[in-house]
Amino acid sequence: MGKRTAIVLSSDDDDDNDNDFDFDFSVKPDLNRFNNPKSKSKSKSASVPRSNPKRSKKTRISSSSSNSRSRSHPGKNVNPFDEMKLFCEDFGEGFSGFKVSAGYRRDNKELWLDKYKPCSLVELAVHKKKVEEVKVWFEERICITKDEYCNHVLLITGQPGVGKSATVHTIASHLGAIIYEWNTPTPTIWQEHIHTTNAGLRYLSKLDEFENFVERIRKYGLIPSSLTEEVRKPFIVLIDDLPVINGKLSYGRLQRCLDLLVQSVRIPTVILMTDYGRSDAADYASKCWEELQTSLQKAGACKVAFNPITGNSIVKTLSRICREEKLKITADQIDVIAKTSGGDIRHAITSLQYFNLKSDLKPISKDATYSGKVSHKIDHLDDGYSLPFGRDETLSLFHALGKFLHNKRDTENLPSCDMDSVFLKEDFTRLPMKMDTPERVLGQAHGQARPIADFLQENVLDFLHEEAMDDAWVVASYLSDADTLLTSLNGVLSRNYEAENIIQSTAASVAVRGVMFGNRHPLSSRWHAIRRPLLWQVEQSLWRNKKEMVGERSIAAYNCVNLSELSTIAIEWRPALKWLGSRVSEYNSPRKGSIGGKMVDNNCNMERSNEPCDDDEDDEIEDW
Amino acid sequence: MLWVDKYRPKTLDKVLVHDDVAQNLKKLVTEQDCPHLLFYGPPGSGKKTLIMALLRQMFGPGAEKVKVENKNWKVDAGSRTIELELTTLSSTHHVELNPSDAGFQDRYIVQEIIKEMAKNRPIDTKGKKGFKVLVLNEVDKLSREAQHSLRRTMEKYSASCRLILCCNSSSKVTEAVRSRCLNMRINAPKEDQIVKVLEFIGKKEGLQLPPGFAARIAEKSGRSLRRAILSFETCRVQQYPFTNNQVISPMDWEEYISEIASDIMKEQSPKRLFQVRGKLYELLVNCIPPEVVLKRLLYELLKKLDSELKHEVCHWAAYYEHRMRLGQKAIFHIEAFVAKFMSIYKGFLIATFG
Amino acid sequence: MAPLLQSSQPWVEKYRPRRVKDVAHQDEVVRVLTNTLETTNCPHMLFYGPPGTGKTTTALAIAHQLYGPELYKSRVLELNASDDRGINVVRTKIKNFAAVAVGSGQQGGYPCPPYKIIILDEADSMTEDAQASSLPFSDHLVVNSNALRRTMETYSKVTRFFFVCNYISRIIEPLASRCAKFRFKPLSEDIMSTRIVHICKEEGLNLDSEALSTLSSISQGDLRRAITFLQGAARLFGSSISSKDLISVSGVIPHEVVQALLAACKSGSFDSANKEINNAIAEGYPASQVLSQLFDMIVESDDFSDEQKARICRKLGESDKCLVDGADEYLQLLDACSSMMKAFCNMPEGYSNDI
Repeated sequence: MGKRTAIVLSSDDDDDNDNDFDFDFSVKPDLNRFNNPKSKSKSKSASVPRSNPKRSKKTRISSSSSNSRSRSHPGKNVNPFDEMKLFCEDFGEGFSGFKVSAGYRRDNKELWLDKYKPCSLVELAVHKKKVEEVKVWFEERICITKDEYCNHVLLITGQPGVGKSATVHTIASHLGAIIYEWNTPTPTIWQEHIHTTNAGLRYLSKLDEFENFVERIRKYGLIPSSLTEEVRKPFIVLIDDLPVINGKLSYGRLQRCLDLLVQSVRIPTVILMTDYGRSDAADYASKCWEELQTSLQKAGACKVAFNPITGNSIVKTLSRICREEKLKITADQIDVIAKTSGGDIRHAITSLQYFNLKSDLKPISKDATYSGKVSHKIDHLDDGYSLPFGRDETLSLFHALGKFLHNKRDTENLPSCDMDSVFLKEDFTRLPMKMDTPERVLGQAHGQARPIADFLQENVLDFLHEEAMDDAWVVASYLSDADTLLTSLNGVLSRNYEAENIIQSTAASVAVRGVMFGNRHPLSSRWHAIRRPLLWQVEQSLWRNKKEMVGERSIAAYNCVNLSELSTIAIEWRPALKWLGSRVSEYNSPRKGSIGGKMVDNNCNMERSNEPCDDDEDDEIEDW
Repeated sequence: MLWVDKYRPKTLDKVLVHDDVAQNLKKLVTEQDCPHLLFYGPPGSGKKTLIMALLRQMFGPGAEKVKVENKNWKVDAGSRTIELELTTLSSTHHVELNPSDAGFQDRYIVQEIIKEMAKNRPIDTKGKKGFKVLVLNEVDKLSREAQHSLRRTMEKYSASCRLILCCNSSSKVTEAVRSRCLNMRINAPKEDQIVKVLEFIGKKEGLQLPPGFAARIAEKSGRSLRRAILSFETCRVQQYPFTNNQVISPMDWEEYISEIASDIMKEQSPKRLFQVRGKLYELLVNCIPPEVVLKRLLYELLKKLDSELKHEVCHWAAYYEHRMRLGQKAIFHIEAFVAKFMSIYKGFLIATFG
Repeated sequence: MAPLLQSSQPWVEKYRPRRVKDVAHQDEVVRVLTNTLETTNCPHMLFYGPPGTGKTTTALAIAHQLYGPELYKSRVLELNASDDRGINVVRTKIKNFAAVAVGSGQQGGYPCPPYKIIILDEADSMTEDAQASSLPFSDHLVVNSNALRRTMETYSKVTRFFFVCNYISRIIEPLASRCAKFRFKPLSEDIMSTRIVHICKEEGLNLDSEALSTLSSISQGDLRRAITFLQGAARLFGSSISSKDLISVSGVIPHEVVQALLAACKSGSFDSANKEINNAIAEGYPASQVLSQLFDMIVESDDFSDEQKARICRKLGESDKCLVDGADEYLQLLDACSSMMKAFCNMPEGYSNDI
């Protein structure tokens, strides 16, 4: 190998070259290791070198010069057999790169994330049941002879950092299987695209690359190369990060592609799908992913949904690291880190490492270490150190929301600064706020106006005094204003980002300040759950129902010779048909439940299928 | 088949309610040509029935042989291609569609699709009726841009294509479109007319109607003939022979709103507001249009209210309904209305009873 | 294609005066223009005034009288609002048209002056077009008009522009200042009647005097509307047309309906007003029309104080705006009527804790 002509692109960054390959293994073959295959069998860790920046850089360069994959070169025709051979070779390289010897463990420079990658099933922080589920699935497919099962695809979903890929890797090494991975290649940037086009290379979109990849897998399977000695070992294909899709067309392609994969693949294949916090239900992309999941399941894929990792397991893992690193971190601090990580163990470990760095630099003034996002959490730590973590927007969004909703104010007005200010009627004066200006808090929480307004609308009523009806109205009216503001730019001037930004922040500000201003009689502090807006679910089911109704109409179920308006169907035909239940079958429009019953049904279904981690969404906040 | 469809008059001669309009329409089409028409009037007043009968008058029974199609359209809009899915109902002589289904993209529907249809004139051997009829529903829901391009289409293809527009309120159709059509106002049938129709159906079905029964249904229907016939048939299913005191049940969503209204009247607190929100969601999820919810809610509340409060309450209803049109998420505005009502009503109770 | 039957030709076109001196009621304009025709020396012209007063007719008549039917097509370019009038379209069309030079000399008894004529109908609605495509429209107009100005200057030797618009204030000053301006007055009732009687005679229609006066009043000095209504009524109801038929075609609400609504408001009973409103909606009367007729009645009425009138008119204006925004007709009418009631009963304006 390594005799093929290398295409050396004059691009400075070697990473970019990968874009020209049909597909890309995230695995960067390490030649040394490859030449010495013995070492890997002894190693028990299945760490992926890609997260080791220094090493991977080096190996990348070497790989692109010695065995550059030139398949996509238009000038060179490669016959399928060659292709297949290359494929297997690549695979072999890929395989070899996986193993990292235990010796790296003590390297101080290494990210703890890699250093403490779980290497046995016990070390996995993922819930035992889920691990067992996945393991059993693999065992069934690996140990028993092929073709006995018709479905060879496992779909794992979950938030980022809940150990999806770690689980697969660990189980694979536990079963002695070889993982063969597809990652989304580095995106092509425009200039680079120009460059490569000039060099005569055809641009392949990520979707194209993925399609090619799937095609290969289906056609050739993974024929063990005679060159390597892994003949007896079982293979696992791991597809991390499906290509990004936008628009119906590419969605259709991806779906077809995956369907084909599910139907015809003969090797155990794992597809990882990351659930990003679905911040807006109306988001087209998230709907696509949901539909993709259902369609995969329909095609016969087996789905396992990973929940965010529990606080306890994170604490356990963190404590273990602390022990090994001999850190002096109190249990309380670990607790806080675990809590703020939001079930993302990757984040928790990074935080821990970072926190450790900070404590080396003692003493640091409190202000200097304010890291924005989570500054308000500082008081909570005994030693007063900042914890520059706070995993994601959502979480700190919850805290910001908590502040707004609790509406903490000083108990009395400061007399000094009021001299030149305008005098307001008593009705309109409020005590000073016990926090930064709301806009700043919003900025720190990276809150988008729309979700903020939705969350406030969902939750604010819990924080109002039971008798304070007038307050409720003031709040509701400001939220209505905020909604109107948010819509005012829709469609018009959609390219005027500046104006849109202003409207966005104004709307957020109106919503937040309206809520705080309106809430004149806040309840005394106590624990409150912040719910995810029900509105999002409502919108989703409404969207579905509408679609269904359009469908029904087009079967002309309601009316023989003309098209009814949708609203008429909803308010007149449907209720009437429900009454005439006995004849419904005749109109082949199945009525499901009634008003009052129907939505609940829908929600249940929805939650079961799409929101396995719903309890996490009801994030609880304390009155900080 | 539902009675609404079964007893829908098929020809202009058989029309029971708007017989005067029907006769005029007949006169109109006997002159071989017909102008563009705009039918407007409240729901359930018989616009569609008249249109269908008119089509039959023009083209004979062939107009009733229709097929429903779910077509995907690709519209080239300058830099990008827009894909639209639209349900159409067509015979050889006419095409019916709801352009406003396309939402904010309705402009493309009007421009491209109608243009396409208008171009394809039917080939008629007799050299008669060399035009196609396009029935467009819900034109009042079209955006201004779409209405604007509709006007151009009307002028450009007036030789090959006649438009029949249908909407609830003509004030939402621009002057330019209105002035190019012959406007037909279809009023909602009076209660005695509804009674007449119900009695006609009763006779055809061989039913015994107790005196005053049809009148009660008519009264409950809010002058919508469709509602009246639907609830007549429902009553038939629920209980026959009819009795004089038989309950004429309202639509389920109406009942539900009346429940909400009594909830609101019973207690005014943020907690209750929260419960009300949950119920409102259920209505919205079932595709009940938010403005219908708000209007019905106002209706229920006004029924129970002292007249001095009515002015204020209806003011806020109008205010928040307007907001709802401007805004995006209806619930925010309905909720604000409910909150306002609670706040007013609570103040009123305190002032009256201490 | 079936040839358009005589019956379907709009009467507005059929009875359009062909000569400038036939244009009704605009004596001054006619006098000046006849003069112009004799000398064949004609400046750029701007015709403005309410709709249906003969502006377009006049512009077309001049063009016809100058060139005659044969040359008309090659010498006159008509652009109206229904053409696509983006700035580029206007420019290229005008450019292409104006660029071809023409000779002079009489032909077939028409003066045929050595220039072409471009008629821009509905010139002020260029704004509307721009609005429709949601561009920043004020800019658009300026650009448009400025471009026109340039074009005017460039081609002024060989072309004359006739602008026709309703509101002179919507035409930018530089453009207006280059034109001879002609204001068209609204038509008086007897002039309209004469014209309508003439058409009726030609078409063999039977119109009683009541119908005639109704037609004049509902068309509000707009002869085009009057003729359109007449034609619509004739198609629907045949040769004998009553006042009721005309009202039903025009979309105007019968006086009694509005009167009843007003009376209900005056009575101060919320429920009876509510009933009337429900009735009006069920009858299919457009709410904006109800508002505008209410407005007319209140302004003309002697029963109310100026303050009451002011209060009511403001509310009517607000409601109308809401209707334009797409608000519900019933709720807006109810709100407006409730405000009216409060004004009649001299109840205080506004509500407790109004924002």
